[in-house]
Formats: sequence, C-alpha cells, structure tokens
Amino acid sequence: MLEVAGIGKDYRVDGGVFTAVDSLSFHVAEGELVCVVGPSGCGKTTLLRMCAGLLAPTRGTARVDGRDVDGPPEGTAVVFQEYGRSLFPWMRVGANVELPLKRLGLTRAERRDRVAEALRLVDLEGKEQVWPWQLSGGMQQRVAIARAVAFRPRLLLMDEPFAAVDAQTRADLEDLIRDLWSRLGITVVFITHDIDESVYLGQRVLVLSSPPTTLRAEIHIDLGPDRDQLDTRSAPAFAKLRAAVWREIQAAKRGAA
Amino acid sequence: MSPQRSNDASTMSDQRLHSSRPRPRPVPPLLLGAAGVAAALLAGQLLPLTPLVDPRYFPTTGAVLGALADDLARAEFWRALADTLTAWALGLAIAVAAGAALGILIGSLPPVRAATASTIEFLRPIPSVALVPLAVLLFGTRLPSTLLLVVYAAFWQVLVQVLAGVRDIDPVAADTAKSLRLTAWQRLTRLAWPTALPYLMTGVRLAATVALVLAVTAELVIGSPGLGNEIAVAQTSGAADRMYALILVAGALGVLVNLGVRLLEREALSWHPAVRGDARW
Repeated sequence: MLEVAGIGKDYRVDGGVFTAVDSLSFHVAEGELVCVVGPSGCGKTTLLRMCAGLLAPTRGTARVDGRDVDGPPEGTAVVFQEYGRSLFPWMRVGANVELPLKRLGLTRAERRDRVAEALRLVDLEGKEQVWPWQLSGGMQQRVAIARAVAFRPRLLLMDEPFAAVDAQTRADLEDLIRDLWSRLGITVVFITHDIDESVYLGQRVLVLSSPPTTLRAEIHIDLGPDRDQLDTRSAPAFAKLRAAVWREIQAAKRGAA
Repeated sequence: MSPQRSNDASTMSDQRLHSSRPRPRPVPPLLLGAAGVAAALLAGQLLPLTPLVDPRYFPTTGAVLGALADDLARAEFWRALADTLTAWALGLAIAVAAGAALGILIGSLPPVRAATASTIEFLRPIPSVALVPLAVLLFGTRLPSTLLLVVYAAFWQVLVQVLAGVRDIDPVAADTAKSLRLTAWQRLTRLAWPTALPYLMTGVRLAATVALVLAVTAELVIGSPGLGNEIAVAQTSGAADRMYALILVAGALGVLVNLGVRLLEREALSWHPAVRGDARW
C-alpha cells in the first residue's frame, strides 16, 4: 500500500545543509495501522509530508499503490494536528466535509448522504449547519476526520492529530480511530510523539532516530484487535511494549547506535 | 478591577452590600453622540452672532439649515446629488472589480507579483488630483473625468489589500486544499477568495471613502456636474449659507457611505472572528 524506499530530505540552512531525514525505508501493508514515533524534532512531520505528496524528497521515493508520489496521491487523506486551521472557518461543517466530494461526480443527494454518513461515523450526526468554530477542539478534529473519510480514502495519514486536545478527548478520539480503521478497512499511518498512544493504537510501531533520521526500531504490538482504554492500558503486555518503545526513544535521544 | 468582576464578588460574599447600593448606570453612547451634535449645532448658531466670526462667511446654523431646506426643494440639487452618487458608485464598482480581480491574479502568481511590485509601489502614491489635467484633456468636464480620478484613487486601496490578503493564506489550509486534491477553481473560490475577503472589505471601506472625496474634489476642481460643482457655484455667487448646506450634505454622504460599507462587511464576514458572535460576547 505504502512503500517508502530510501527517502530523505535535506534543508538548506545558512549556507550549509541540514539533513532532516537521512534515509528511511519501510512498508505498510493494505489495511494496516502503523504508528510512527520518535524524539521531538526527528522529522516525523517531514516524513508524513513527503508521503502525502506535500513535500518533495531530496532522495528516495514514497510509493502509494505502486505509484511514485509526486503530488498528493488519489485516495489518500491527511489529518493535520492544527484542526482549527485545517477546517475552513468560512464554511459550515457540512460544506467542509462536502468540499472534496464535489470533484467526484456525485449527485447532490449522494454527496449529502456521504456527508451525513461521515458525520455519523465520528458521532457528529446532524451537525451539518454548525460552524466549525462553534465546536470544541475535539469535535473540530472529528469534523476534519469526517472530511477525510467522506471521500473514502484507502490511505489515511495522520500527523499528531490529537496533540492539541485534552487527555479525555484524546482517549475518545483514539478509540474513534481504532473503530473507523476496523470498520472501514483503511490503511492508517499515525504520527505521534506519545509513546502510550502509539502502543495503544498501532499494530506496529516504527521508532525513528534523531536527525539525520533513520528507522531505529520496529516493534510489533501484539495486543490483539480489541483494545480498551482501561484494560489494555493496564495490561502487563502493554507496559512491556511501552517500555520497549520508551527505551528505543531514549537511546535515540542519546544518539546511541 | 472591572465593574463586572467586583459585582460578582459582592454577590458571592455579601448580599446586603449588593442590594443596598445600586450602581449608577453609564450614559448610553448614542445619547452622548446626540448631545455632541446638538452642542455643535448650537455653537454654529451662536458664534456668528458674536464679533468672533463674520456671518457673511460663516452664517448661523439656522441660515444654513434654511438654505438646505430650499435646496431640497430644487430639482438641480437632486440632479447634482445623483451625479455625485453615480460617479461615486460607478467609480467604486470599477475600482473594486478591477482591484479584486487583478489582486487575486497577481497575488496567486508569484513571478507576476515580483515583476509588478515596484511598479505598483511607484504608481500608488501618485495623488489622484495630479491627474486632473489629464482628465480634462481626455474627457473635458463630463462624468468620465470624475470617474478617472475616482477609479485611480480607489483602485490602489483595493488592490493593495487584496494582494496582502492572498499572501495571508494559512499554510495548513493550503496543505489541506492540496491533499484534498481540490481543483484550481475550488482553491481560488474556497480558499484564496475567502482568505482575501476580509482584506478586500477593508479595501472597499477605504476605497468608498476615498472615492467620495475624489468625486466631490473632481467636480469642484474640474467643474464636472455634481455636488462639488454646486459648492463651487455657491461660493462664487456669494451664497455662503448654500455652500455650507451642500458641504453638510457631502458630510452626511460620507457618514452614510461608511455606515453602509460597515453593514456590508458584517454581512460578508459573518464567519470571521472579528465579526462572529463568540469573539464579541
């Protein structure tokens, strides 16, 4: 589904060159939910932007469905951390969700159904006529997620989507993502700096190193498909996996090999 | 401490204090404004009766209002008012349409923006009045003369604002539009245009005022038909009261124009943080 091969990004800074991402290779299979964690400033967002076709890599390639990414790929949706800036404040919730559907050649009724369905999926049924800024932060991010799933993407890229919401809302949104993922059968790549979140959500966690970034470790999360905020997080297996990811990140911070 | 907060505190801590001492209500601003206008009118009435000013050049409020009443009954006055409003509205419409279209176009094409920036910065500060000789050469003393000055003055106000607006597109919103694979038309109408709209409305507000100033100025200086021309005629014929009456009318137009544009702004930007409910109440 998503193949990243030797991808890297250099930035020019003050006449020199800063290698943000050195070389990263990994593969995400169809229908997988993969989390990417790493120490802060490790180029997680750079990686996601290259996969999303929003940033041209300096070397290497990202391939979605076997096709090289040289612009935003068809069937790929991105959910950004800054929901308040990602939703258009001049459009009501329904219009925001409907906007990307307009070029799909659907009838007005089909679009309306899809919007209603997407809003139902994120527990915002009937909120079409509300303005985004009348909603809480967590609800705004739900709208952004509804907009992303409304055009039925096969790949969902999420860039620290819950970093700006409170802990309680965050737990709800995490469960929402697990739920959407299992119901819709989409492939999800979830970028986060939160170790617990990555273990709770993912089937697999990719740990990145500090810049120049490489893939440091890959940890399989064998917690099973049914996860629960209380039971899963208090299970011994969760603690072990969490510790494993934590150790890798600490080592990455120290720059150990 | 704000009165609101001290009020809350007293409600919570001491009921008796709260009920026994009602706060004096502030005078409504509208009333204060009306009082100010009344005072100005009264001063205008009394001053010419003192030796301080010469009533020949500064007639009493009563005389001016009398001249205004006479004018309101004359067809020429209404024709002049219509001429001025026509020049204003037509000139403003042309300036806004051209400024918005060119602003969006130039703003969305970085090479064009870079190529035109210095030319715009050179042309913009040229006072419109400096074009009077050109206007007279081209159009004589007819309406297009006024239009030329109005459009030139108002156009830059709009263009510069729209250019700033297009530059202000939020990078996250731009990334969102790209990742949603919105069409170029959707990006223009759903992202660039709404982002630039608050700036455009500011430009329209400035342009509307400037357009009125230039319309009256052009009529006054060139002698093209309108209120400005009537003011010049009143002045040369020694009808000071009528001159002031017409100046009052021009002032009232300015107030109405500003009011109208502000209403339009609120209507067009109901979603904007500066206009919408949550930021205000």
